[in-house]
Amino acid sequence: MHDSKEGPRLVPAVEQKFKRHLDSLAKIFEFIDLFAAQENIDDDTKRAFDLAVDELFTNTVRYHPSNPNDVSIELRIENQTMFLRLTDFDVDPFDLTKKPDPDLTGSLKDRTPGGLGIYLGKKVVDDVQYHYLDRTSTITLKKKFQKKNV
Amino acid sequence: MFDIRIDESGEVVLSGRFDAAQAEKAKAVFDQLAVTTSVDFKDLVYVSSAGLGVLMATQKRLSDRGHKLRLKNVSGHIREVFKIARFDLIFEIE
Repeated sequence: MHDSKEGPRLVPAVEQKFKRHLDSLAKIFEFIDLFAAQENIDDDTKRAFDLAVDELFTNTVRYHPSNPNDVSIELRIENQTMFLRLTDFDVDPFDLTKKPDPDLTGSLKDRTPGGLGIYLGKKVVDDVQYHYLDRTSTITLKKKFQKKNV
Repeated sequence: MFDIRIDESGEVVLSGRFDAAQAEKAKAVFDQLAVTTSVDFKDLVYVSSAGLGVLMATQKRLSDRGHKLRLKNVSGHIREVFKIARFDLIFEIE
């Protein structure tokens, strides 16, 4: 599908760095809100990215609390698909794509609070890719979206 | 902006975005509950796994005493998150 007679509109990627603290979540949501509004991305897709990046960012805050580096988040669009790339510098490898799904079939007694974050993050987007090089971890989320009516 | 309060009827009322940054604030309120309690999600726009964890821990604690949380006015997209997390198996959702 083309956005104009000239072909698909090229949307430059936008990137922002965030302090490694849970208080940054509000700023991350604002960053995604602004991008989604500018690109008329549907609410379901925006909410999916909110949830997925919340889980990933929270994970990196919890597991690398003393790392002084900011966390980078880049947003871009290609072929009616939204991409979010989270880059975390000077960290140990953790390939979330290989983490087994939790068993959610048990009764309340059998279930434990926690362990849902990565699972939820993976389930609400179409694809998750993990890359690790030179102590830099890169997680890329992608999801097809619908344009909101304008 | 997230808010949580217990109203005059004893119901917990949630609003805003229930993310990891708000989990401690929410836990402090849920920890006060000792009997079966309704939780109104009407003005809640978002919940992450941190919020789900607080709800589940409270449900387990109340369940041990024969009580529970009842969730009401849960929006479509939060229901979807509950479904993925299989919270529909462990919560009564009105």
